[in-house]
Amino acid sequence: MIVDALATPPPAGAGAAPGPARPQLDLELRSIRKRYGSFVAVDDVSLRVGKGQFVCLLGPSGCGKTTTLRCIAGLEEPDGGDILIGGKEATKDPPWKRDIAMMFQDFALFPHMTVAKQVGFGLEMLHRPKAEIAQRVQHILTSFEIAALADRKPASLSGGQRQRVALARAMITEPRILLLDEPIGALDYSLRETVMLELKLLQQRTGISFIWVTHDQNEAFSLGDLVVVMNHARIEQQGVPEDILLRPATAFVAGFVQGNNVFRGRTGDVLAETLAIKTAAGTFLAPRERTAPPLPTGSEISFSVRAEQITDRLTDRHVNRLTATCTAVEYFGAVRRHVFERSGGEVLKYDQFGAQAARIAPGQRVTLGWTIDAVVVHRSAGA
Amino acid sequence: MSTIRARSAAGYWLALPAAVWMVGVVVVPIALLIWVSFWGGRAFSTESPLTFDNYARFFANQTYLKLVLSTIVHTATLMALTGVLGYCIAYFLVMKVRRPGWRLALFLAFIIPFWTSTLIRAIAWVPFLGVNGVINQALMFAGATQSPIEAFLYSHTGITMAQVSLYTMLAAGPVVYMLNSIAPQLREAAMTLKAPPFVVFRRIVFPLTLPGVVIGQVLVFLNVMSDFATVATIGGNKHALLSNLVLLFYESSQIRAAAVVAVLLMLCMLAGVVVALRVVDIRRLGA
Repeated sequence: MIVDALATPPPAGAGAAPGPARPQLDLELRSIRKRYGSFVAVDDVSLRVGKGQFVCLLGPSGCGKTTTLRCIAGLEEPDGGDILIGGKEATKDPPWKRDIAMMFQDFALFPHMTVAKQVGFGLEMLHRPKAEIAQRVQHILTSFEIAALADRKPASLSGGQRQRVALARAMITEPRILLLDEPIGALDYSLRETVMLELKLLQQRTGISFIWVTHDQNEAFSLGDLVVVMNHARIEQQGVPEDILLRPATAFVAGFVQGNNVFRGRTGDVLAETLAIKTAAGTFLAPRERTAPPLPTGSEISFSVRAEQITDRLTDRHVNRLTATCTAVEYFGAVRRHVFERSGGEVLKYDQFGAQAARIAPGQRVTLGWTIDAVVVHRSAGA
Repeated sequence: MSTIRARSAAGYWLALPAAVWMVGVVVVPIALLIWVSFWGGRAFSTESPLTFDNYARFFANQTYLKLVLSTIVHTATLMALTGVLGYCIAYFLVMKVRRPGWRLALFLAFIIPFWTSTLIRAIAWVPFLGVNGVINQALMFAGATQSPIEAFLYSHTGITMAQVSLYTMLAAGPVVYMLNSIAPQLREAAMTLKAPPFVVFRRIVFPLTLPGVVIGQVLVFLNVMSDFATVATIGGNKHALLSNLVLLFYESSQIRAAAVVAVLLMLCMLAGVVVALRVVDIRRLGA
């Protein structure tokens, strides 16, 4: 499934192409494949990134997101598929001929060069005059608030300072695409939120496309214009954050994204508007997909319900019901999460607004319910 | 972490055995050597007056001065040859050999010859280099030459060939270590910053391996300067370097002259190490 990233409007200042001409893509991946021996690292990954987009590749470790990034950088050669950078075929180009820059997880600063020297390295490689290099290095160091470190070597810098140097070094040549491999994973937790916001603003201001690899869904959903969820070398779902949070396409995405309750079962009766799904916890009604061809009765199917869509204040609309015992209550401020035990060792999460008074105590047996519309039916596994 | 504090009594006691050993076998003999090199007169006695005569005699002799010069030139040649060859071997082993099995096999192939002594390995070159030696027979079999080349054994070329084979691994070893310690991301980062491979090598890889290169060069320098055995076996009586002169004077019981040459040899070595340390601070390695 390919969601056209161009569907979302480009950020202001990116300079919309005049006339009806199709705006150029910053990056296009066409069915990229990469294998190491018998291990498939990237399988049929296709992606389209419009001008100046912030794309997050999200997934558990070993899902192929870093390999995909390295293929875009040219550090790995894909076994199949095409990579287009700025509309130009770049699959066979070596890294030094691609219009990209990359920020590495541990920043990969050159230990023998001063901050000023390595920030200017990219411009030196472009054979810019010395005076211009000095001036642009000075400018970027000042705007990143690291001008005082110009003559220091990386070994004497803190984690946050190294991160800024690495970013300045990658950004100074103003590439079309900046590739970031877990760029804030090495930072202290308290620093991450500030840096995330800075990077988002920087991306919007410069109009450079960011491809950001992370396993942290908070990063992905708060930063990405487009979020690409990967698992087992494949793209499970791509779309805007709301899409993935509210309408997970597969059981994996639903389970990976926080706050979903995933149910697995078999299809039952198909009614006019609804589909009955038989699970170990009972039979539930889901909205019938009008676009998809109907599945034969008894097919395996999964669906999810978000924790905040569940309620213990039942009305006639809450036709899906489940009685379970509360095992724990966690208070996060914004929400109060109740954990219930379901059959088969699975849990059911129910989030209540944190501002409301507590109504359920651990050990209590409660009947919970949700509406038909709250049910998100997934693509069948492997489809 | 060490649990022994600096300047504690335990620290001094632990340092004592090594200190006694070093004073006994290094400091005292060198002091004696320097002392003997200043002895005047003819008698071999501690009563001898101290003069600069021995040094004056050495420096007045053109042959000896030429020997110093040729020793330095020879050592510099060896350093250049082993440096380039050693770096290439190290780069190949670390960067190009990807299979661990191959790497181990090649590493052993380079290391195993070092299990025999330097003297044996030097002597082992004789049957290779001789007029009817392996190299000449191979060349004649291949039709590269009609008559055997006599320039190999008992010649400067032969000495150089043997010493290159003896000391190349000394130059390569520290470079292997330094190359291994360069994170692959550094080269990748340079490539994504538009540096083509040779520039990556010149600007990133080589500067980061420079300490290894310098250490290797110091090892080769010290070994070649002090290697009299290879020169004696391969060079026969026709060729000599400074270290052979020490042996020559010693065997002819000219102890004062031997001491003078030994002291000068040590000074040359000391100067070389000082220069090396100015290029790279070896003490900071591993930090």
